[in-house]
Amino acid sequence: MDLNFTAEELAFRKHIRQWVAENLPADIAHKVRTALRLSRDDMQRWAKILGKQGWLGWGWPKQFGGPGWNGIQKHLFEEECALACAPRVIPFGPVMVAPVIMAFGNAEQHQRFLPGIASGEVWWSQGYSEPGAGSDLASLKCKAERVSTSSGDKYIVNGQKTWTTLGQYGEWIFCLVRTSNEGKPQTGISFLLIDMKSPGITVRPIILLDGEHEVNEVWFDNVEVPAENLIGEENKGWTYAKHLLAHERTNIADVNRAKRELERLKRIAKAEGVYDDPRFRDQIALLEVDIVALEMMVLRVLSAEKSGKQSLDVAGLLKIRGSEIQQRYTELMMLAAGPLARPYIFEAMEAGWQGDLAFPTTLLPLAGTYFNMRKTTIYGGSNEVQRNIVSQTVLGS
Amino acid sequence: MDFDFTEDQDSLRDAVRRWVDKGFSFERRHALAKAGGATRAVYGELAELGLSGLVVPEDQGGLGQGAIDAMVVCEELGRGLVNAPYAHAALMTPALLVGADNTLKAQWLPGIASGELLVVPALQERAARYRWQQVSTRANLKGATWQLTGTKCAVPAADEADAFLVPARVSGADADATGIALFLVLKTDARVQAYATQDGARAGDLMLAASPATLVSNDAFALIETAVDVGIAAHCAEAVGLMDRLVAITVEYMNTRKQFGTTLASFQALRHRIADVKMQLELGRSMSYFASLKLGEPAPQRRRAISQARVQLGQSMRFVGQQCIQLHGGIGCTDEYIASHCFKRLTMLEMTLGDTLHYLAEVSARMQDTAGVFA
Repeated sequence: MDLNFTAEELAFRKHIRQWVAENLPADIAHKVRTALRLSRDDMQRWAKILGKQGWLGWGWPKQFGGPGWNGIQKHLFEEECALACAPRVIPFGPVMVAPVIMAFGNAEQHQRFLPGIASGEVWWSQGYSEPGAGSDLASLKCKAERVSTSSGDKYIVNGQKTWTTLGQYGEWIFCLVRTSNEGKPQTGISFLLIDMKSPGITVRPIILLDGEHEVNEVWFDNVEVPAENLIGEENKGWTYAKHLLAHERTNIADVNRAKRELERLKRIAKAEGVYDDPRFRDQIALLEVDIVALEMMVLRVLSAEKSGKQSLDVAGLLKIRGSEIQQRYTELMMLAAGPLARPYIFEAMEAGWQGDLAFPTTLLPLAGTYFNMRKTTIYGGSNEVQRNIVSQTVLGS
Repeated sequence: MDFDFTEDQDSLRDAVRRWVDKGFSFERRHALAKAGGATRAVYGELAELGLSGLVVPEDQGGLGQGAIDAMVVCEELGRGLVNAPYAHAALMTPALLVGADNTLKAQWLPGIASGELLVVPALQERAARYRWQQVSTRANLKGATWQLTGTKCAVPAADEADAFLVPARVSGADADATGIALFLVLKTDARVQAYATQDGARAGDLMLAASPATLVSNDAFALIETAVDVGIAAHCAEAVGLMDRLVAITVEYMNTRKQFGTTLASFQALRHRIADVKMQLELGRSMSYFASLKLGEPAPQRRRAISQARVQLGQSMRFVGQQCIQLHGGIGCTDEYIASHCFKRLTMLEMTLGDTLHYLAEVSARMQDTAGVFA
């Protein structure tokens, strides 16, 4: 056993750190550091910078133009980006749909879709959840009917997707659609790529509890999708989506960001005078222990992947713990602000807002972030669904 | 970064496990506990496996192994529910004797390594709780002989030991970190009031009244802290083994016990509980590794890491222990069933060499601007 990274890994980290320091725009890092609102342009600017370096698809193998990094290198890259206050990469393209296209798409689809994802030019959205299909995703109803026309086979898509994160910016959307009602619900689902400019698509905002427009409803009314946009075989989409979930490994724990936010929590607690209150400080200490323990668990997974000697089936645990920790640090930051967490000033979330306040504007986003983070134990398979999965592994039944 | 065990460590684990399977059944543990908790014979069997000398240097008759080897052994002793003062006698005592001169080492270490001599640290004082600088026991020099006066409580295996390593104050006030020296006291020179422990072993109070003592080390506080950290890392590992065992027992019970016409494992409320138990177990295992891997670091980093680990393990031990009893229902509350023994050992471990609140305060006091495994 050895806790230390190898000299090679440390050199790799140093290289990444230096590159991020030189290439991450200061205005974007400032917004992330103080939890201000990020625009579409902010997010895409960083994505394109990474894309130019060939790192937007940092988890991609070399054959598809990725850097071909191993698990530890990916972890170090993510950590350096997080600690430098780079914005979270919008995962739908490079992290979520690309691996499915690589694994199950044909050569033509590789050529057609992967370059736009790798460069950050094309904004992708995810079309999974429906009003009647949340944690029970397999019960989805959005229907795609295959028809033959003179200009080739097409799917006619009808139905509704929801919780589409940043779908207001989406240019393409990957959807799970129902192509058959035969057999088990899982067996009649297909994986379809849809151009969001197609006639019949309507995107409507859903304003979340923090007042922000983060998610959307997407309606499909007789939307025509060329049959060549089907990934793999019809009715096999569920298998492909599961592959995607298996692809999300340690980064679901988001421990690197948690380390950064713990530092921020300490800064806020000091400024607001609660860092020296033992009752408050002990709560931070407990969170610090939680974060170190989570990081150790992540490192154990990475080590097991690297050596291949032990199998560690803890993805569910990482999701549960990581999301609980995200909620906890936002909760403690809000509590540290105390009475000054109450003001709600929508414009103050914009960088450069000049308000006349008797307290620091850095306290203004705290309550909103806390409200927003309730989603983390709900999305990506709610924590209760995760517990079902974990218990299956533990009980073997 | 590598969390795999070496082949030697795997063999070591197998050797301890084989001995447990063959020689330390639950029936034996139960009988020992019922008979008052004497464990010197058990310790003797561990010595035959070479385990008493595991971390003693080779030139003193030991195996000269390191912290991860000790962790492996402690995990297996925990899994086997073995009641023996292993962490104290075989790991903490050699750590304390690092401070001794060569004569004293040559006199004691070979016997400690072979298991012939059982020497345990006697650290606990009534007023100290877990503040090891709180030492009221006084040492006075009478001619060429040191004499100790004071009382130590809950000393592991007190009436089975041959000698004790005793911190005593040579100068300063009761709570000063300076002025504490470490002495060796023969059992024959002290009065021992022994008793059984809640978790099936023995302990006792050590009464010293101008008892003759041999100086091991002057200004010993740093040494004592190091040894305590060695003990905590060992207890963390023991807890991991114990929790592993208890969870396995509970899983088996959930898959066989039927109520309302179906197995316990089919109820979602209980499935979610076992998932939470698994969470605490894996967080605990992760932090047990962390504790042992950090033992060699300089004192500030080591103490900080050990405190963090101990807070996690404290929470894990309490949660896993309580919930596994709950998942068993009534049978979990009986003396004849193994689950209660695991629970009681976990409970006592949480209060040995420090409890969760104490180490939370340590983490709190030692917090830096940055945190994390490598901070």
